[in-house]
Amino acid sequence: MIDTPEVGEIVAALRDRGLLKSDTPLPFTEDNHRPWFVSLMTGAAGWLAGLLLLFFLGLTLKPGSGTSIFIIGVVLLGTAWMMYRAARELVFLDQLALSLSIAGQFAVAWALLEDAHSAFVISGTVLLLQFVVFAIMPNYAARIIAAFFAVIAWIYTVQSALHPGNLESFFWQRESDAVRTGLAWSLISWLLSWAPLLALAWYLTTRESSWMAHARRSLARPLLTGLLLGLACGGAILQPFAMAFFGTGIVGLGMNWYALFPLLAIAVAVFAAYCAFQLRNLGLLGFAVFAALMHLAKFYYLYGTSLTWKSVIMVCVGVALVGVSLAVKTQVAREAP
Amino acid sequence: MQSKLNRSELDQLAAHYELQRDGVDTLLQLAQARPGRRATLDFLARVLRIGGVLSLASGIVFFVAANWSAMAVFGRFALLELVLVACVAAALVKPPPSSLGRAALLLAFVTTGALFALFGQTYQTGADIYELFFTWALFGLPFVLLARWSVSSAAWLVVLNTALMLFCGLHPTGGMLWIVFGSPHWQPAYVLMCAAWLNVLLWFVFELRELPSVPQWVRRLAISCAFGFGSWAGITAIVGDESRAAGALLLLLAAMLAVFFYARYRRDDIYPVAVVMGTFIIVSLFGLGQTMEFRDEGVLLILAAWLIGTSAVAARLLTVMARNWRGEAA
Repeated sequence: MIDTPEVGEIVAALRDRGLLKSDTPLPFTEDNHRPWFVSLMTGAAGWLAGLLLLFFLGLTLKPGSGTSIFIIGVVLLGTAWMMYRAARELVFLDQLALSLSIAGQFAVAWALLEDAHSAFVISGTVLLLQFVVFAIMPNYAARIIAAFFAVIAWIYTVQSALHPGNLESFFWQRESDAVRTGLAWSLISWLLSWAPLLALAWYLTTRESSWMAHARRSLARPLLTGLLLGLACGGAILQPFAMAFFGTGIVGLGMNWYALFPLLAIAVAVFAAYCAFQLRNLGLLGFAVFAALMHLAKFYYLYGTSLTWKSVIMVCVGVALVGVSLAVKTQVAREAP
Repeated sequence: MQSKLNRSELDQLAAHYELQRDGVDTLLQLAQARPGRRATLDFLARVLRIGGVLSLASGIVFFVAANWSAMAVFGRFALLELVLVACVAAALVKPPPSSLGRAALLLAFVTTGALFALFGQTYQTGADIYELFFTWALFGLPFVLLARWSVSSAAWLVVLNTALMLFCGLHPTGGMLWIVFGSPHWQPAYVLMCAAWLNVLLWFVFELRELPSVPQWVRRLAISCAFGFGSWAGITAIVGDESRAAGALLLLLAAMLAVFFYARYRRDDIYPVAVVMGTFIIVSLFGLGQTMEFRDEGVLLILAAWLIGTSAVAARLLTVMARNWRGEAA
């Protein structure tokens, strides 16, 4: 039961304002809220257990064809769905269901993508799979994880549609595409990848009271959380190893505008931090700040231009930010009663 | 910035009372779940200021790393020293807790590290990279203490733990710390446990002193670092081919118990208990895997079941403890 004094106070205030009838009882639901770090721990453990389960099933059943792997995956997903439905609030079954769901997703993706080489097909299939998992799994944590991976899959899908190639190139060699295609096209593809996600996050954050008043809150809440997690760290997950393989020959060349893209990733992470602040979610806020610092490290290592130029860029950005900060502070002081 | 109720409770209330949009708006307002215009502007001003200071700091670090040949050695040192003097002067004119003073002292702390890096880069002192970070943490400490700011405290903690990580990870065979840890008795698991205990002790000091410049999130950072090293030590002791490694596991157990009981005594933050439980799950998983020696595929199932079971029990215990502690605090 939610029986904190705050709930009593708030319900009384809602009654006073005529939004509730005077005899409306307090809600009888157990307070099973998990702090963010507990969710993170259970999510990570469920993920790892899912992988171990998948390896166990693969080695034990030795499925010979894509069809049998697909059937195993669907059975695992179905079992996870039933566990989620039947045993809400039972942590052990929740964890088991999460592991089965992860193992099932891997098995289905493996079966569907066994012979696929196109990055677009691979990331598009993963995106669709995450949509399905998000829509059908009746569990908050499972939906957050699905939303997070859907964000990452979306970015890869858009990027691979605009720059066709195999998936390997998206991990190791994308920077050469950016240099070849030029700044304008890189900027357009960045906008196509990120702008819809930013717009969706903004919409869900500013219209919170609207969707909270409907049953769709059970979808919108995990969608928003997964979306903000994905926005915060998506820039670093895309081309995670490109920095190491940019080629040392490029170090010391003049300005390469592609080096500025990690700064856009920092801006996106800061936007996620702003949304987290609006939602009063300290865990998400901390994660977004951590992600922003991670993008800064990527900016350092990404050899898009010389470190001297990067130093100049950072000093200019720093002066601009401090200037805007002072302007905002002045505005706050002016508005103070 | 904490709301009176968390989002899942607010969702439950909205669902239970079938509130319409106006009702939800009022609910969010009563629970102080949405920041007002002033709070938002304050947040933006703070984020922009911290972002700006960190950008300037990284500009200084990038400049040293660039090793720009167009500028003479004297010029490079003079530039950094001028920045340092300017920061100290700014902090003297507007001392902390003013924003300018705090920002200037954070920049001074970063510039101190950049100066040591430039010194090592220019004169090729032969020092290990961990020594740079240790020296930076030591000589930058006065600026951090004077700044009395959570961001500076966190930056110092990151620098110190980077030094510890480099020392433990690279197993350097030279340098000042090697005088202590050079003996064959100091196996890697014990060295890692020293790093873990250093962070645990810092966490205890922060908890007991309740310094405003070391708020809860910085204390959480310290305890995360402690058990990051602790988990590393535990895994090394179990998996590594080390004799007398059981002592390291005992040291880890002692750290876990000390933190668990102190957090239980304080009853104000569940995070240290969660970190202790997370460490137990990780280390016990490796212990179980090592004991069973991966004889057949059945081991994978047992490990998965262990992981699911321990994390479920931990989640349940933590949820109940968090609820009880919160109820007591209210």
